[in-house]
Amino acid sequence: MSNSLLINPSAFEAGLEAAFLARSKPNETGQAAFERFAKQRLPHRRIEGWKWSDFNAALRSTALTPAPKADRIDPSAFAALNPIEFTIVNGRVEAPAEEWPEGVRFGVMESVGTIEELESHPIVSMNVAMTAKSLGIEIGDGVELERPILIRHIAEGGGLSFAQSMIRVCPGASVRIIETYEGDGGGFSSHLFHGLVRDDASLERYLVNETGEAAVNHAICAVKMEARAAFRQTSLSTGAKLSRHETLLHFWGEGASAHIDSAALVAGARHADFTSHVLHKQPHCTVRQLHKGVAADSARTVFQGKFEVERAAQKTDAQMTANALLLSDGAEADHKPELEIYADDVECAHGSTCGALDDDALFYLRQRGLSNEEARSLLIEAFASEVIDGIEDDAVRDVFAARVAAWLEARS
Amino acid sequence: MLKIDDLHVAVGENGDAILKGLSLEVPAGEVHAIMGPNGSGKSTLSYTVAGREGYDVTAGDVLLKGESIIDLDPDERAAKGLFLSFQHPMEIPGVQTMNFIRTAMNARARARGEDEISAADFLRSVREKAKLVGLDDTKLKRPFNVGFSGGEKKRMEMLQMAMFEPEFAIMDETDSGLDIDALKMVGDVVNALRAPSRGFLVITHYQRLLEYIKPDAVHVLAGGRIVKSGGAELARELEQSGYEQFVEAA
Ligand SMILES: Nc1ncnc2c1ncn2[C@@H]1O[C@H](COP(=O)(O)OP(=O)(O)OP(=O)(O)O)[C@@H](O)[C@H]1O
Ligand SMILES: [Mg+2]
Repeated sequence: MSNSLLINPSAFEAGLEAAFLARSKPNETGQAAFERFAKQRLPHRRIEGWKWSDFNAALRSTALTPAPKADRIDPSAFAALNPIEFTIVNGRVEAPAEEWPEGVRFGVMESVGTIEELESHPIVSMNVAMTAKSLGIEIGDGVELERPILIRHIAEGGGLSFAQSMIRVCPGASVRIIETYEGDGGGFSSHLFHGLVRDDASLERYLVNETGEAAVNHAICAVKMEARAAFRQTSLSTGAKLSRHETLLHFWGEGASAHIDSAALVAGARHADFTSHVLHKQPHCTVRQLHKGVAADSARTVFQGKFEVERAAQKTDAQMTANALLLSDGAEADHKPELEIYADDVECAHGSTCGALDDDALFYLRQRGLSNEEARSLLIEAFASEVIDGIEDDAVRDVFAARVAAWLEARS
Repeated sequence: MLKIDDLHVAVGENGDAILKGLSLEVPAGEVHAIMGPNGSGKSTLSYTVAGREGYDVTAGDVLLKGESIIDLDPDERAAKGLFLSFQHPMEIPGVQTMNFIRTAMNARARARGEDEISAADFLRSVREKAKLVGLDDTKLKRPFNVGFSGGEKKRMEMLQMAMFEPEFAIMDETDSGLDIDALKMVGDVVNALRAPSRGFLVITHYQRLLEYIKPDAVHVLAGGRIVKSGGAELARELEQSGYEQFVEAA
């Protein structure tokens, strides 16, 4: 390791470097990304924005090798929606063998790196260095894709897995993308998603993370929105030992709108982090963000949300709400809502609450005949329902509701 | 049917004694009323009988159909047929009213070893009874009690009572905040349920409801115990004279 780029690497970082060097032929982008990572290193709690989610602590002591090939054929919880289904098993993209609807194109291609804003992100650097093939999807002008696209990220058997996807929604087009994070394997997985929503186009993205209790995962989505574009994202995480879902949203055109909702339901020693940054560069854009975190046992939820409104972004209408429900004394919720506003004619607000189940409501329900468990489950479900009910698509909402119910069922 | 025997109850962090030797018996088939000044312990009595945590029975007993219930959980008491109409009903955001009532009915049915109600029967019944208590169907689809007026919440309590057909109901100031038509409706709901096997304990500040309900007995609760009992005429007397004499006596 004399020519290592890393100074005093942890076991994980040394393993990562070995895996990087063993890659068949990392291109220039990959090489540059690894060099960035070598300076940035695994994020830890003393790094701004990472204080509550310490990936270094979770990963450093184990050298992981790239996850082997694996098969996974369980039907998806979303199968009933008849989606166009991609699987990315341990980082290997499998495209569906079917005719594509007209106006929709896809390709599996060389990794293309990331946007400038993310070059300072250590896990993105790692991802760009390590990802071999990336999935690209384009929805052509004015195409309103009926069937949802499902991307299943499956990490099996531990190890390292990296994936990238890119979606371009052309002017006037609309698409729904469902992403599931599955697999019992421990190890580390990372997904980098780039989206471009052109003028008058619409992207809906639904995310469910139900990975196993040893998994560490990171997923980041960077979406650029052009004029009058619409973006809706609803995420549900019940999984992973440590997960972080990041959303970076750029309003590049006027009059665009976004909903970014998330629910974390975590038990045991799990840790779910939702971090987001919405950058308003243009006037008349609207964003609504709602986060609901439920933590049981010694689990922890983290919400970090930032709205940044540049001077040009007058008439921005931005609202952020984060509510946490703690089900035990050992549970924890950390919230950091942030507004950074340089425009004067805007409406921006945020609110954050944290509490336990309401004893009055519990007693009321039990007087009506519900057992302690039933009453608690009902109230937890009710707490999360604002996020779930915000899903406009009936079929998707039903699956989300069923996942929440399954989580409650497994706990009682 | 409901027998409360020398009940002593302490509440709060300091363990303040609120009920101090309260005894009362409501035989099956009867309706008894309790009146008493603010803070005398009427809601404390309802909560204690319903099994609310934090209401510490330091002495005495509560028997339902001859069986002590003070060691039972609130839902076990509910399964035995006990219903409490709350003085201040809860709002439960995120829980659709109709789903909630059905969930509660099914939970009670399961606990009693009875069959769950079918979706069709439930729907028919809940619509019919909503009409009876003066709640329109759209309210049934809304989150439970959220944004409802005080009177609407009380109507929702009566809707549940009508649906559950409890064996013994405690109605804690169901009449407070109700308009005149609603008072009559409460009377109708109670009178329709009245049966030789059922009992009611009606807590009220006003004689008006009792004109519709016609209690078999009226008790005055002051200073944590029953200080006077009498017939329906006692309610009228109290309306005239107030509680002063009893507060001093207690
Ligand atoms: N959880 C509690 N902690 C401390 N004090 C309590 C608690 N609950 C009730 N009390 C006290 O017990 C007393 C009786 O209260 P309760 O609510 O039973 O009165 P009430 O007769 O129902 O009055 P009202 O007619 O106003 O409804 C009051 O002094 C009240 O402050
Ligand atoms: Mg009271």
